Amino acid sequence: MDELIIILVRGIGLGAVYALVAISFNVVHNSSGILNFAQGNMLVLGGLFGFFTLTQEPGVASWLVLLPAAALLYAAVLAGQGWITLLPLRSSVEQHSWLITTLAVSVIIGAVILIAQGPFALNVKSPFPSFALLGTRTPAPYAGAVLLALAWCAALHWFHTRTTTGLAMSAIAQDLEAARAVGIRVRRLQIYAFGISGAIVGSAGFVAAPVMSISADSGIIYVVNGFIAAVIGGLGSNAGALVGGALVGVASMWAAFEFGGQFQNAVSLAILIGVLMLRPQGLFGRTAARRV
Amino acid sequence: MLVPALFGNLYWSHTFHLVNLYVAVAVLQNMLLADAGQVSFGQGAVFGAAGYTVGIAATLLGTSLPLAFLLGLAAALALGCLFALPALRVQGYYLGFVTLSVAMVFPELLVAFSDYTNGVNGIKLQLPALHRPLFAGVTPLSLLVILLACGALAGHGYLRETRLGRRMRVAAASPEAALSLGFSPGGARSAAFFIAALGTGLAGLLYVPVVGFLSPSAFHVELSIFFFFSVIVGGNGRLLGPILGVWILYLVPNVLMVDLVNYRLIGYGLVALGIMLAFPDGLVGTVENALRRRTLKPGDAEVGLQSVMGAAGAADKAPPSAGAAIVEVRAARKRYGQVVALDGVSLTVGRGTVHGLVGPNGSGKTTLLNVLSGFARLDAGAVSIKGVGIARMRPDRIARLGVGRTFQTPRVFDELTIAENVQIGADVAGTRVDDVDPKWRTQRPDQLPHAQRRLLEVLRVIRTGSDVLLLDEPAAGLSAEERREFARLLRHLRDALGKTIVLVEHDLDLVWRVADRITVLDTGTTIAEGAPAEIVGDARVRALFTGKLDA
Repeated sequence: MDELIIILVRGIGLGAVYALVAISFNVVHNSSGILNFAQGNMLVLGGLFGFFTLTQEPGVASWLVLLPAAALLYAAVLAGQGWITLLPLRSSVEQHSWLITTLAVSVIIGAVILIAQGPFALNVKSPFPSFALLGTRTPAPYAGAVLLALAWCAALHWFHTRTTTGLAMSAIAQDLEAARAVGIRVRRLQIYAFGISGAIVGSAGFVAAPVMSISADSGIIYVVNGFIAAVIGGLGSNAGALVGGALVGVASMWAAFEFGGQFQNAVSLAILIGVLMLRPQGLFGRTAARRV
Repeated sequence: MLVPALFGNLYWSHTFHLVNLYVAVAVLQNMLLADAGQVSFGQGAVFGAAGYTVGIAATLLGTSLPLAFLLGLAAALALGCLFALPALRVQGYYLGFVTLSVAMVFPELLVAFSDYTNGVNGIKLQLPALHRPLFAGVTPLSLLVILLACGALAGHGYLRETRLGRRMRVAAASPEAALSLGFSPGGARSAAFFIAALGTGLAGLLYVPVVGFLSPSAFHVELSIFFFFSVIVGGNGRLLGPILGVWILYLVPNVLMVDLVNYRLIGYGLVALGIMLAFPDGLVGTVENALRRRTLKPGDAEVGLQSVMGAAGAADKAPPSAGAAIVEVRAARKRYGQVVALDGVSLTVGRGTVHGLVGPNGSGKTTLLNVLSGFARLDAGAVSIKGVGIARMRPDRIARLGVGRTFQTPRVFDELTIAENVQIGADVAGTRVDDVDPKWRTQRPDQLPHAQRRLLEVLRVIRTGSDVLLLDEPAAGLSAEERREFARLLRHLRDALGKTIVLVEHDLDLVWRVADRITVLDTGTTIAEGAPAEIVGDARVRALFTGKLDA
């Protein structure tokens, strides 16, 4: 019973991290059709930011200042990456160059982390004490990740329905050509979307740093699990991402408890293949109308 | 490539073997990406699965070597199936993530099942017999690896000349076109994954004698990414691209920076990123394009009506008697969200007749065509072709009944030559396109004006041998003279070849000139139906097309 509670609680916490990656995918994908393979390593970079800025006994006040700083820093980094990614799409007929450019950026980040920090995972301290939930001690960052995921979801909802920029971004998601025709500056908004996705993963990495694996080869784990969460929820749906993230997180925790950590990703992979075979549009996704 | 093996230098002969294996894998990756349009970040896992299975079978299970090699190939194919299965349903980046996670999970599982794999300690398996020189320092192994690399290249070149190869490229460029030509795009994608797994598996088998040692760290996700990037660096889709790509990504860092293993990954990333930004067509591709621009005189080849008439062929048998209904639609209803596209439309098309479908934009013409070809499903009503109910049938099955269609935006493929664009139609009938302008064999349709692209698609659908042709605005963009010619072509198809034609067209003169019967649609309902002369005086039809009918 205790085990089940731990699996559920920590699984949902871990799932919130996946959900945050999935939400950051959605933001970029909705505005440009691009899925940024570097998003996982960007999350790890958010964790690294925590590693470098949070001292041995981090204070709550400095943590509260550093959180927006992490979001802003990675918003800028991702906007830069977005600019690079969108460059070849300007003229080229090769519309899938983003697969390569984003993967290349991901590989470069992973390699730089490896050279700078070595192959071992880094530990980050949280300023918040762990707390008791349903009788189990739960590290605070799990709760932080859940709160952050909900907060980003709400913020994005407000942004997309209440602000002009957000509405214009939704317009791109609906119909790129029409958006361009009414004078929306598509390229600029796409770079904004990259920036927002950076703020999401930057803050997520910082908040979840104490419970994350911060190492050169963990970016790929987060990007794949984040994608799986997005696919389960239905690519583009943020509410779906929350549910999908929780499902993947719990399944992954269960696999770790039941079979051992090496099987976490194998279980995620099985879920991914299962979802793609049975319901490729995801739980909350709609099949896009076919245009002939 | 061949020279270093002769030196007998151990380091070089090892590198030579490995590079040849990597070239073979990269060639198949190239086929997968460029021909089938499939992104796989997991070919390293397929490669490793073959090698590791040989190692496990031969050492820990103690099977004979031939059996071990067979099992290894089977393992690679099984993994290929794992990729091919989701490929039936989805494509593009979805598969990118599936394969990426397989590449990630594979070495983890090797460690997790250490009872069977020896875990991180790896498996040692040496096959000295393959290293014994036959003559002049040439070993059986070096022959095998060259054979594999050359075989992969030749196989890739050959595949492009086959029906399957063409179909892969069509499925990658336009799944709808694939369906309209009677085959499942998912099937073509899966076949590509399977072929890639076969070749990659063979390379993985040879990895065992080449290296003599298997460890999980040799098959990390970086290996898969290396294969993928070498295709990009060399030039996506260029036959020789992978060779150059592997050389640059493997040899250069290995020879120049042997001590800086950690920096190799940065090198991969930077080179791939730089190439994508500076030469999106890859190195070989950029050179090829430059050469092509220099030698090509644009606007050379033409797809004129004459050639379409000629290639349409003469009647080889007497057309079946005209008249009997071949297409029947009863009270068809179809809505998209709030929009009712078809609101109880009925339609009967007689065999060997031309049936015009006209109406203003949004009247439901194209929707009806989509229903007839299976791209749209009716909410209510019945539809049958040749007496077979097709309301629930997939588009590729309907196409195999002998229904061909063109699209409003022509599905013409710039990756194929003009002749190949016709050949993919002839493939349906199992015939060869021999009797065409030789220029069609070398030139691609990217220089053709829009009207000629439409004609090319019409020609393709004629060559499928389908007896029901659904044409969606085939005459758009033709000049007045060409329209008269086009009308002649349609009559020829009907009278000499006995085709049944459903024609959606905005040019009312053309429709009234060739159609045997006409259905006029407006906002999803039939407002008039009959022979051209009967309905030309209809007040409602006149109101719809004021000033356009001068009959």
